[in-house]
Amino acid sequence: MVNNKQSFLDLLLNDSSFINWAKECNQNDMEFWTTWIKNNPNKAEEVYNAKSIITGITFKKEPITQEKIDLELQTVLRLIEKKEQERNEVIPLKRNFFRKTKNWIYACSAAAAILLFFIFSNGITQINSSETIHKTGFGEIIDLKLPDGTSVVLNGNSEIKYSKGNPRNIELKGEAYFKVKPIPSTKAKFWVNTKDLRVEVYGTQFHVNTRKMKTDVLLDEGSVHLILDNGRTKEMVPGELVSFSKAHNAISHEKVTKELSYSIWRDGTYVFNNTSLEEVMINLKQAYGVNIEFNDEKLKKLVLTGGIPNQNLKICLSAIEKSTGTKIVQKDNTLKLFKNQ
Amino acid sequence: MSSSFEKSIWHLFVEGDMNAFSTLFKTYYSSLHNYGLKISGDHKLTEDCLQSFFVYLHENRKKLGNIVNIKSYFFVSFRRSLLKALKRARNFSSYDKLIENSNAFVFSNEDILVEQEFINIRAKVLAKLLNTLSTRERETVYLKYYSELSTKEIAEVMNVKYQSVQNTLQKAFYKLRNHAELQEIKRILQIN
Repeated sequence: MVNNKQSFLDLLLNDSSFINWAKECNQNDMEFWTTWIKNNPNKAEEVYNAKSIITGITFKKEPITQEKIDLELQTVLRLIEKKEQERNEVIPLKRNFFRKTKNWIYACSAAAAILLFFIFSNGITQINSSETIHKTGFGEIIDLKLPDGTSVVLNGNSEIKYSKGNPRNIELKGEAYFKVKPIPSTKAKFWVNTKDLRVEVYGTQFHVNTRKMKTDVLLDEGSVHLILDNGRTKEMVPGELVSFSKAHNAISHEKVTKELSYSIWRDGTYVFNNTSLEEVMINLKQAYGVNIEFNDEKLKKLVLTGGIPNQNLKICLSAIEKSTGTKIVQKDNTLKLFKNQ
Repeated sequence: MSSSFEKSIWHLFVEGDMNAFSTLFKTYYSSLHNYGLKISGDHKLTEDCLQSFFVYLHENRKKLGNIVNIKSYFFVSFRRSLLKALKRARNFSSYDKLIENSNAFVFSNEDILVEQEFINIRAKVLAKLLNTLSTRERETVYLKYYSELSTKEIAEVMNVKYQSVQNTLQKAFYKLRNHAELQEIKRILQIN
């Protein structure tokens, strides 16, 4: 008996016509159910109960303000950073130092978080006014001029960080294109640090990508000195592409030729050469935060060569469609690739 | 947030992408904050717990494995760590006792929108009626209508069967409607 009762309630709660009646939004359904209840008075109790479950209770919602959420986020990010630093400390003496100063750090981070919030709105973050961070969200590209005159184009979902005292020594996560301004009088060097390696230059143009468990550096102009995380060094001349993965301790150093497969990004354009469609889509996934689905495995193997503008996902997708003969359908945040018949 | 988008964000988060982490934080902070406050009634404890919860998530992201429903995962996991913190702070022996003996999910007229489709009663009366339900019933009602979780998701969060959530809801509304009718009758009698 109980079981029957249960399944009847379930039926009602999942019946779209019944839901329409409960919400009083479809004339036909309303007439149907009014008649039905008249003819089945013994079920009225359950019907009205089901109705009240559907209409439910309307709560007043007071969401937390955006400001408060941003503030809390900064605090949490700071805590995570502290944790990772502490874990990396091996010398016990230093560890004690960290413990003692922990409370002080927490107090400071609250103050810093407030400061951060005010500056964060234009994409720049300053920590204790000694560190500057530029960060892009998914699908966002920014053009930056560093204090020394170097220009940086930061692709989506990427970040650069440098201390105020030394804007020519920066840390990069993600993907960026650099035009380093040479300072001939002092021959001042410029460094880009990634998790895998360090790029050392005087004045030149190059592209760095740290996604995919490795760092790619492509040199367009000038000369570059690389210091790999394993201690080895490399010199690069224009037109060369170096990939190094610390995790796999694997390096490749090649001249960019017509045969070589690569994908680079500069001036808001992806340049692909003999790149598989699968890899092209991985680039988009990382820059725009989209999900990729291939309707046909064979499509992954299609090869793309040429420049694809990426200021905007729509234009980018239509360029890919045209050059590969595919159809890309966007649903929510998933891109589905089909063969164009 | 659509679920496939969430999944790709989750995937990036597990790989260590801090932008993805921030996106998840911004998506869930408000609703978890509200939920935690309804359980504990304590602003500071809720916020401290949220901070350490997100730090913990980041630290252990590689061990989390494949998560089917991200929304209910956030609720389950945060509920667990909040209860742990409450247990420490208030010296309770078991989680069930903790929730039942506390003022968890007590509603006030400020929680409730004046216009209700459900029954023609004032917010104050409805709040009172809601508070006559058991804690478990109140939490179910809260998760369903405030946090907008599906019945399946509520079952996961409260670690019970789907059918049991359905039963609890049914019982709760049966009580509410009976009480509401009684109130209405009382009101009419008083007026006359």
